[in-house]
Amino acid sequence: MKAADSTHPLPRVYKPEMQRGWWLRQRHYFLYIIREFTALPMALWLLWLLYEIQRASNGPKGYYPPSSAAFIAFSIIVLAFALYHSYTFLSLAGVIIHIKGVQSWLIVLSQFAAWLVASAVIAAVLIGFAR
Amino acid sequence: MAEKRITVRATRFDPAKDKAPRLQSYDIPFADESMVVLDALNHIKAHVDGSLSYRWSCRMGICGSCGMMVNGVPKLTCNAFLRDYWPRSITVEPLNNFPIVRDLVIDMEDFMHKLKSIKPWIIRKQEYPLGAGEHRQTMDQIDEFRQFSECINCMLCYAACPVYGLNNEFLGPAATALARRYNLDSRDQGIKERLPVLANSEGVWECSFVGECSVVCPKGVDPAKAIQQTKLDTTMRFVLPYGNRED
Repeated sequence: MKAADSTHPLPRVYKPEMQRGWWLRQRHYFLYIIREFTALPMALWLLWLLYEIQRASNGPKGYYPPSSAAFIAFSIIVLAFALYHSYTFLSLAGVIIHIKGVQSWLIVLSQFAAWLVASAVIAAVLIGFAR
Repeated sequence: MAEKRITVRATRFDPAKDKAPRLQSYDIPFADESMVVLDALNHIKAHVDGSLSYRWSCRMGICGSCGMMVNGVPKLTCNAFLRDYWPRSITVEPLNNFPIVRDLVIDMEDFMHKLKSIKPWIIRKQEYPLGAGEHRQTMDQIDEFRQFSECINCMLCYAACPVYGLNNEFLGPAATALARRYNLDSRDQGIKERLPVLANSEGVWECSFVGECSVVCPKGVDPAKAIQQTKLDTTMRFVLPYGNRED
């Protein structure tokens, strides 16, 4: 591109900036922001989990898991966020994974099935340890 | 019977006079049900205000010139029917996320640069002489990339992409879709020349999958799919043994 000079200045253009509330403008953008936001409380909850693991490293003696109503409420909210995030993530598998001759809905179904199996296995292991 | 009319509000911006764009209202006849937004703009230009500037060409959804924001949604104005909006008014603005040159005309320089950067043509390691014949393809091989070749470079996907709006360095949907089109073409051998552009931090990895690019595409191309599949491809090439081999 030629540099602007005094005899032939480049035409002035107006550069619009995105408004702060752009994500409230339509439902699709709003759901996208919610999806992205869910990662934040999940990260906080996982940091807490690491802290609890460290606290429990000396064995069951003297370890008391947190049981306040506020913590339980926070955990339920985070669980809802985690389920929403997982649902949106796995639903997109049909777009991302491309296997010749396999319908995209089958790919999505297989991801949800794998999620279900993994959840059942982890739940069985945790319940087994708890007994 | 009273003549049916519709109000069209169009962005006006004269770089020599105005500091910022403004909306101007025009009350025009809604003469027949087949009228599209582009017809309304043409009516304004021909009968009301000849200084209104906008791009258009084919009037049949092929050239991709007449993309504008219609009531906040990126549309080809030749394919947006007034009957779908009437009796509400219509607000026509330049495509989001691009600098405005004048009225409804945007500066597409950045897009053209990005388009060129992914080398949207067939690259061969060694060209055969024309006499050697054409590069033959099966229907299956064509089907691999056909969808991505439908792009008409209308830039609606860039106007719908908040990631591009927030960071103009992002390669963006249409350029990636076109890169995928050539990378999937059995005649092409240029993937290694495109990877530095596609796989860098302002390439496909900048995309956080809003998905609106695919929603607004007037040709049914799925740029979001092209971007996510390119992410998977580049990862596989990096992770798998011999993944980055010469094809």
